[in-house]
Amino acid sequence: MTVHRLRVGVVGAGVMAGIHLGNLARLGHQTFVHSESGAAALANEVGAQVCGNYSALLDAVEWVVIATPTDTHHQLALEALRRGRDVVVEKPLARTYRESAELVATAESLGRRLRPGHVVRFFPEYVHLHRAVAAGTLGELAVLRFTRAGSYPTRAGWFADLGRSGGIVFDQMIHDLDQARWLAGEVAEVSAVSRRDLSGAAPVQAAHVVLRHTSGAISLASGVWGAPNLEFRTTFSVAGTGGVLEHDSARERPSTAQLADAPPTEGLLPARDAADDPYLAELIALLDADPDRDPVVSAVDGAEAVRLAEAALASLESGQPTRLGG
Amino acid sequence: MITDRRRIRVGVLSRAHVHADGYLALLSAAPDVELYVSDPAGGAGTQDRGRHGLPPNAHYLDSYPEVFDLGMDGVVITSETRGHRALVEAAAAAGAAILCEKPLAPDATEALAISAAVRQHRVPFMIAYPVRFMSVCQELLARQAAGQLGELVAIRGTNNGKLPRERRWFVDPVESGGGALFDHVVHVADLIDALTGAAPRTVAAMTNRILHADLTGDAETGGLVLITYDSGLVAAIDCSWSQPALAPTWGGLTLDVTGTRGDVSVDAFRPSVRGLDAGSGRPIRLGYGGSGDERLIATFLETVRGRRSAEPSLEVALRTLSIVLAAAESAGTGRTVAVRPLTAP
Repeated sequence: MTVHRLRVGVVGAGVMAGIHLGNLARLGHQTFVHSESGAAALANEVGAQVCGNYSALLDAVEWVVIATPTDTHHQLALEALRRGRDVVVEKPLARTYRESAELVATAESLGRRLRPGHVVRFFPEYVHLHRAVAAGTLGELAVLRFTRAGSYPTRAGWFADLGRSGGIVFDQMIHDLDQARWLAGEVAEVSAVSRRDLSGAAPVQAAHVVLRHTSGAISLASGVWGAPNLEFRTTFSVAGTGGVLEHDSARERPSTAQLADAPPTEGLLPARDAADDPYLAELIALLDADPDRDPVVSAVDGAEAVRLAEAALASLESGQPTRLGG
Repeated sequence: MITDRRRIRVGVLSRAHVHADGYLALLSAAPDVELYVSDPAGGAGTQDRGRHGLPPNAHYLDSYPEVFDLGMDGVVITSETRGHRALVEAAAAAGAAILCEKPLAPDATEALAISAAVRQHRVPFMIAYPVRFMSVCQELLARQAAGQLGELVAIRGTNNGKLPRERRWFVDPVESGGGALFDHVVHVADLIDALTGAAPRTVAAMTNRILHADLTGDAETGGLVLITYDSGLVAAIDCSWSQPALAPTWGGLTLDVTGTRGDVSVDAFRPSVRGLDAGSGRPIRLGYGGSGDERLIATFLETVRGRRSAEPSLEVALRTLSIVLAAAESAGTGRTVAVRPLTAP
């Protein structure tokens, strides 16, 4: 699957770090891990080498995969770029647009690759959607709708800290803000409303963001961090002059199981093959050194998504739409 | 007080609205109802206007005054939106209970005049929001009333349909008030109103005219509306005329409700038999499950008979229309606007 064995270092020890590390190992790359805590346990699963500090990891690798809390992305990525490494950064690229723009400029001036982990671009339903739009199947896009809903992330405290994570808009909805821009082009205006309710057994947060694209198309992204019992569900509906395409992840399951005795399937399921694993497909594309191959998502895309998220937060603050110049 | 044994007289005023004939059919089949119709602007040569294609037991009259002269217990107003005011004023003055098509009015001035007439003459007034009467919506309201959803946090609603080409006035803002905003915001807004009882506070709307760009006039065809409520609830509504003309059904309505105890998703018009016509290559979709019209009309007749109060009421109609008007203002100005309650000064 991979031609060239790379030396790749993963920074972080959470869920995304685990996923990327596992896929890097599957791809046959030589793997390293550094994290403030939990690195050893993670490295053990795939036989990666643990690096006690970030500098040591940077010394050892060609590529860095940053899968740490959002507000650490900028510093870690900057250091890696300056050390002459190529970098994959989990979304969002950084906590602010200013930081994101600095990363883009730094990568550009140093001639380094910087790729944001916008994995939704690799989910097959979104691949189909983008291809159809690019092929002109839907004509001129008019109204786009996206939803992304799951349970409130209580696993790690930093998610709920708006200053650290950017909240639901930066952490979850950014995927759909990126999708809207990828499909319907640059955005002129962003308007958002949001609500967080702490009255129940667990917090619930939701937001709606509407975008006016320079093309005149309008997009709605809705995000939910809901009750603990919520299953993760994404939808889209994109209407243009040439037709409509829709998807609801809750309705597109190839099988349902109603079994008398169904213990958790963790560990029981075989690994998904590449065609079925967007995270694997993403890594393959992002680490691809071939200059003629489209990495699907660029550093600028990562920065622009952050810009949209920031504009949404500004709208929440001001109670008015945020206009984007240029 | 009207006794329930007496036959009641119900007049359908105008057949301009696409729902008029559906209501005629239901009224025609209702027991103890004498049905009258007038459609003076019906024009010649169409199957479904004027005196053409009426149920056999419907009595056609050439003018509205002739209908009122017979003494109506209730009237159903299915004219162009711009025509609602005159008919409401006449019906209210005649003491008839009113079922009025949506949206209530094309602008605030008309809405306030309608409100004044209804209040002055104290006639029962119902706005035609059939969706809340559908079983699936009644079930959602029951769940909410039972506390199953907890506190409501966010709602996403869609009411998308085809461009209403059968009736040109729908897309003429002078007659209708506007385009997709005026056609498709209110059903979702009504469901939210019934769920929460909260008052809408601000609206941010974006509209465009990319779909059906060949339409003359400036009716919007695409619309996304964000609403905040005084309870903290936030809602988003897609009201676009985004159902392609060749789609096998008219469109649909969905509602996704997020509360502190979980989520409920409603796709009101989903249940269908599906297939493909191999000859034409066109999809087949045969929907079932009712549209709420039956219960809407049944409720109206109960209201006419004095057995219950009118619901959805004038207050609901005014509250939901205020959202539409705010959306139009927001879309036009590019600002988030405060909802102006439609109450008499």
